[in-house]
Amino acid sequence: MKKIAVIVRNLPFNTRRNAEALRMSVGLTLREDKVTVIFIDDGVYTATRAKPELINIPPPVREFGALNMLKCNMLADKPSMEKRCIQEILENIKCVEREEIIRTINESDIVIPF
Amino acid sequence: MKLGILLTTSPENENTNTVIEISKAAREQGHDVSIFLMYDGVYNVNKKEFAELIGKGIEIAICAFNAEQRKLAKVDGILFGSQYDHACIASDVDRFISFG
Amino acid sequence: MTIELDLKGEVCPYTFVKTKLKLEEVESGEELIVFFDHAPAVENVPRSLKNEGHKIMGIEQTGDHCWKVRIKKV
Repeated sequence: MKKIAVIVRNLPFNTRRNAEALRMSVGLTLREDKVTVIFIDDGVYTATRAKPELINIPPPVREFGALNMLKCNMLADKPSMEKRCIQEILENIKCVEREEIIRTINESDIVIPF
Repeated sequence: MKLGILLTTSPENENTNTVIEISKAAREQGHDVSIFLMYDGVYNVNKKEFAELIGKGIEIAICAFNAEQRKLAKVDGILFGSQYDHACIASDVDRFISFG
Repeated sequence: MTIELDLKGEVCPYTFVKTKLKLEEVESGEELIVFFDHAPAVENVPRSLKNEGHKIMGIEQTGDHCWKVRIKKV
């Protein structure tokens, strides 16, 4: 079993990239590898209760639903959240210190910045 | 050694040339190379230099869902597969590099 | 007993994830029938399941963009 870290680091609003990173993360669990999704820098907005549907972008409900169902580990970088005054994130996403993010990346066999 | 590569950017990005050159170099040294294309990376199937990698024994699979969204026609020798194929590549290779 | 799963409206990789999870409820040797309306899934899900050791008993197009796949659990 491999450890795979997927890093979401860009704004979610002008692109499908972030939703696709989540869909890819769901797919990566299919061979029993341990997948962790990391939200960092502007990527932390993906972990908030934003309403992208207001600007005609489908919210990543299905993607998060599947990640929750698969009990996939999801981490949001605390300093990135603080810098952007984000206080609330989605359920099942853990707000963690930078050290834990670094440790997770270091311990991963595969790191995919998306 | 088995090398896995993920490419998620379209052919105008310099990533395409990097992936082509790394894949060729790895293959010339006798390594197995598997490439997975998704998101805008699927457009690379239409780039001549990229598709020529098939002839060098490099395996290329793409996300058929992303290809269908972008109305891409099937290309001989390229597996129009799924995220399961990506999971297999990630699981089976010794080294994995992501270009996005 | 045959169990059915309706995956119309689902795309990759949710088609495969949900099929795999449903197969966990099926006894070895029993059949699961899955309904798809996403064309790439009809090719890819059976291929992936075969790779996991399951048997594909048949793929039938039941309508415009509707397919029925019969899977026998390994």
